[in-house]
Amino acid sequence: MTGTTTKSTQMIRFLGFVSLLCGVLIVGAHVASQSRIRVNQEEILRESLAQLLPGMTRQVIYIVTPTGELTPAASGESSDKRIFAGFDAGGKFLGVVLEASERGYADVISAMYAYSPASKTITGFSVLEMKETPGLGNKIGSDPEFLANFKALDTTHPVAAVKHGKKTNPWEIDAISGATISSRAVGRMLAASVQEMAPIIARHRDRIERGN
Amino acid sequence: MKETAPNPFINGLWRQNPTFVQILGMCPTLAITNSVQNAIAMGLATAFVLICSNGLIAAIRKHVPKQVRIATYIAIIATAVTVTDYLVKAISISVYKALGPFIPLIVANCLVLERAEGFAAKKPVIPSMMDGAGMGLGFAFGLTCLGTVREVLGAGTFLGIHLFGPNFEPWVLFLLPPGGFISLAIWLLIFASYRERKDRRERARAALLTVQPAEAQS
Repeated sequence: MTGTTTKSTQMIRFLGFVSLLCGVLIVGAHVASQSRIRVNQEEILRESLAQLLPGMTRQVIYIVTPTGELTPAASGESSDKRIFAGFDAGGKFLGVVLEASERGYADVISAMYAYSPASKTITGFSVLEMKETPGLGNKIGSDPEFLANFKALDTTHPVAAVKHGKKTNPWEIDAISGATISSRAVGRMLAASVQEMAPIIARHRDRIERGN
Repeated sequence: MKETAPNPFINGLWRQNPTFVQILGMCPTLAITNSVQNAIAMGLATAFVLICSNGLIAAIRKHVPKQVRIATYIAIIATAVTVTDYLVKAISISVYKALGPFIPLIVANCLVLERAEGFAAKKPVIPSMMDGAGMGLGFAFGLTCLGTVREVLGAGTFLGIHLFGPNFEPWVLFLLPPGGFISLAIWLLIFASYRERKDRRERARAALLTVQPAEAQS
């Protein structure tokens, strides 16, 4: 412990060297993996779209501006509200896919759902990301009985989740027993999203269905 | 801890197994072992971090000033974890989704820092990386043991393959946090009783040898 000044400069120099080394490694890994990560994320998005709108071969993506107008978007990530319009091989309009998210039992659940502007119904639902309890809450992404709720869910009346087995109206979601909180979150998420997006879609319906 | 085993790889894998002997890194052990896939992925991610951080720390061990060694280790471990985070994200988004917030938590896994301070700081690069691999795989083995019990009982599946047919009613408790504690306790009990029995046998044999060396032979 002799010569504290040299010791200090030594320590600072050493820590500076370690930080530099770490910085180079992190940036290197970031640069090297970035393109691959983007491809993976696109892949997940494409799988969800294909599952929600079976037969879809072409999609047009719109971004909703704060004033409620639509601007076409190139694919790629965006934090804005997006509308995906899907078309089959013959160019026939299949429906739109929208994104929604809501606080679930553990952290935010983010999902996509298919919406038909003609019948004003939700025709499909797919979870993108969640941390719900394994075996209970996470069934909202896989339980066939629960997902059957979204074959033709009426949205002219606000969507709501009801207790398992109590579904009587076409706008109600039959909750999973043991996962009522997660099911309710799905109900709230869809109700809020439809309430916001349906008027915008209705206003631009012609344009969305033409796909330009 | 004194390294008595000649081979650092076997030492980590079995004699000083992080989960069952050292009981280190219990947070990820309990949190992500509700499926075998998660357990294996988390174990391998931790092993990768251990190999990288042990290797790097051993390489610079002679130049590290004593006063700032912990800061240095943490910086290097955090770097290894960040790189792993990117790699997992690039290799498989679905594994990344399942591991969620747990990869960044490898930084705080005391096992990694303990190996840095307890082994890599004193030994050359190659044995340190071997030690990292052994400890990491030992950790992965521990997680997989727990994950197997929890997934088979809690979901009736192994690696997502259904084992018992459609009439099996899953024992959901095992997927929830209490199931983690219960299955960890069961495994610790098994390993502890095995060790104790082995110890007792060895002690008995040693006693026999010292008292009546002639009779012990027969």
